[in-house]
Amino acid sequence: MSPVIEVHGIIHDFGALRAVDGVSFEVAAGEVVGLLGPNGAGKTTTLRVLAGLLTPSAGRAVLNGVDVHRQPLEARRRLGFLTASTGLYERLTGREVLTTFGRLQGLDEATLARRVAEVTRELELEDFLDRRCGQLSQGQRQRISIGRAVVHDPPAYVLDEPTASLDPLASRDILELVQRARARGKAVLFSTHRMEEAEHLCTRLLFVRGGRIVARGTAEALRAESGQATLTGAFLHFASGAAEARP
Amino acid sequence: MSVLFVLLEKELLDVVRDRRTVVLTLVLPVLLYPGILTLMGAIIAAGKDRLKHEPLVVAVTTADAQRFLDARAPPPHTTWRRVARPEAEALLRDKKVAAIVDAKEGAAADVDGGRQATVTVLYTKRFDRSMEALERVRPVLEAAGARALRLRLEARALDPAFATPVKLEAVDLDFQKELGPLIASRLLPVVLLMMLFIGALYPAVDLTAGEKERGTLETLLVCPVRPVQVMAAKYLTVALVSVVSTLVNLGAMAGTFGAGLSLAGEGASTSLRFTAGQVAVMLACLVPAALLVSGVALAVSSMARTFKEGQSLMTPVMLAGLAPALVSQMPGIELTTVTALVPLLNVALLVKAAVLGTATAATTALTVGSVLVSAALALKWAASAFDSEVFRFGGTPGWAKVWAGRKRG
Repeated sequence: MSPVIEVHGIIHDFGALRAVDGVSFEVAAGEVVGLLGPNGAGKTTTLRVLAGLLTPSAGRAVLNGVDVHRQPLEARRRLGFLTASTGLYERLTGREVLTTFGRLQGLDEATLARRVAEVTRELELEDFLDRRCGQLSQGQRQRISIGRAVVHDPPAYVLDEPTASLDPLASRDILELVQRARARGKAVLFSTHRMEEAEHLCTRLLFVRGGRIVARGTAEALRAESGQATLTGAFLHFASGAAEARP
Repeated sequence: MSVLFVLLEKELLDVVRDRRTVVLTLVLPVLLYPGILTLMGAIIAAGKDRLKHEPLVVAVTTADAQRFLDARAPPPHTTWRRVARPEAEALLRDKKVAAIVDAKEGAAADVDGGRQATVTVLYTKRFDRSMEALERVRPVLEAAGARALRLRLEARALDPAFATPVKLEAVDLDFQKELGPLIASRLLPVVLLMMLFIGALYPAVDLTAGEKERGTLETLLVCPVRPVQVMAAKYLTVALVSVVSTLVNLGAMAGTFGAGLSLAGEGASTSLRFTAGQVAVMLACLVPAALLVSGVALAVSSMARTFKEGQSLMTPVMLAGLAPALVSQMPGIELTTVTALVPLLNVALLVKAAVLGTATAATTALTVGSVLVSAALALKWAASAFDSEVFRFGGTPGWAKVWAGRKRG
C-alpha cells in the first residue's frame, strides 16, 4: 500500500540546537503509527514540520504525494492536524468553527453542509454545536477541535497528544474516533505519553530521543527488543538511551 | 467565498463578540464626552454658583480702609468686620474671615489731599472662598479709586480721558463670543489620537498574541492559507475597529460640543458645530492614521507570545503615539510644510488646524500623503512579522530580522 504520510531525513535546527536529526518514516492508509518519546525529544517539532508550520533545515515531508514545503497549500488540504495545545475560538459557536474551517479548506457550500452534518453525527456534537466554545467542557471542546481538524475529510491525520488534557471518558471517545478513522482508511500519526493508548491503538510505534528515531516496530517487537515485559518498560529503556537506533 | 473574506468574517465575528473591545471602542466614547464634559461644566458652574452665594466675612483693619469700602454698598452676601491687623491674619488662617482689607491711618486723607494711598487686600489662593472675597472686594475698591479720580479731574476741570491717554482694548476676533473652537482645538487632537490607539491596540494584541496564547493561531496556519492572508484579515479587522472607534469618538465629541456646554460665569458659550469641510479634513487624516497605527500595533504585538506580554509591548507604543498629540499643544507648534511630514504630529496639528479653520489644502495633502506612506511601511513591517516563524511560535530573533523578512517558513 502506498504511504500517505512520508518523512524523509528531516532535520530542523533552532539556532544552534538540533531539535530533529534525520527522522524518516512512513504511514500508510489504514495505519495508526505512534510517535513516542520523552519531553523535548523532537516529536512536536517533527509534527510541525510535517504540517508545514516549520521549514526543515534539510529533508522533505510528503502528504498523499504532495511535497509539504513546495506545495504547502495543496499539502494542507490533505492534512487534519490537532495538537494538545490547540485552542478554539471561544467567542464562536462550534458550528461557526466548523463552517469557517471548512470554507478555509476550500469546501463548497453543499459539501460543507454535508460534512458538518457527518462530523456532528460522528462526534456527537448535536447538544452543544450552537453554543459558544468558551461555554463548553474540556471534552466537548476537544471534540469540536477534532471536528475542526477533519471537517474537510483529509486522508492524513496528525494528532499530537490529543488526550493529554482529557479525563478517561473523553479520552475513550477520542480513541474510538481514531479507530474509526483507521477503519475508513485514514493514515494516522499519533503522538502520546500514554503507553496503554499507544499499545491499544497503534499498528506500529516510533521511539524518539534526542531528535532521532531510536527504535521502531510493533509494540510486541519493541518489548522483545528491549527485553521488557511492558511497553512502559520499553519506553524507559529506549528513552534512557540504553539502546542505539536500529538502522 | 475567498479565503480572505472567510478569515475577515471570522476575525470580525470574534472581535465584535468581545465585550472589552466593544466597550473600549463604542460604549466608552459615547458615554465619555457627553458624560465627562457635561459633568465638568456642571461641576464648574455649580462651584461658581455656590461661591457666588456663599456668605463671606471680610476683615477691615482701620477706619480709613472702611471709608474706601463705604464708597459703594457691600457686595451681596458680604459683611465687613472691623478687626485689628494681627488678629485679622489669624482669623484668615483659621478661615474665619475670607480676606483682609488694610490701609494705614491717614490713607483717606492722603487721597483727599491729592496724594496716593495704598490699600492692601490680604487673601490666600489656598481657599476658594478667599479668592472669591478678592473678586468681591476688588470692584468696590476700584469704584473708590474711580470716584476719587473723578473728583480730582472735576476740581481741575479736566476731561476723564486726561487720566487715561492710552486706552487698551484687546479684541479676540475669533473667540470673543465662542470658546468652543478653542477648547476643541486643545482637546480633540489628544483625545482622538488616544482613542485611535486604544481602538487599535487592544484588538491587535488580542488577534495576535492572544491567539498564540489560546492556541488558535496554529489552527489557522495549518489550513491552506498563506500567512499574508491571515495578516491581511487581522490588519483589516484592527484598522476597521480603529476607524470605527475614531468615527464614534469624533461623532460623540461633535455631538457634545454641538449641543453646547454651559460654563456659568465665563461670559461666553462653548458651543461648536463642525462644518462638512472640517469633518472631511479630519477624516482625511484620521483614517490613514488608523491604518498606520493598526500596522504598527500588529507588527509589535505579533512579537509577543502572550496577551500580557503584548500589553506590555503596547505601553511604550501608546506613550510614543501620544507624545505628538501633546507636542501639538506646545506654544508655537503649528502645521507647516515641515511639521506636516512628521507622522502623527501632523495628524494632531491638522485636527487642531481644522477645528480652528486654519488648515490649508497644501498642508492637508502633505499630511495625508505622509501618513499614507508611513502606513504602507507599517504594513510591510507587519507582513514581515507575520511571515516569520517567530510570529507563529514566539521567540526573540531581533526585530531587524523580522523587518528584513528573514527566517521565513
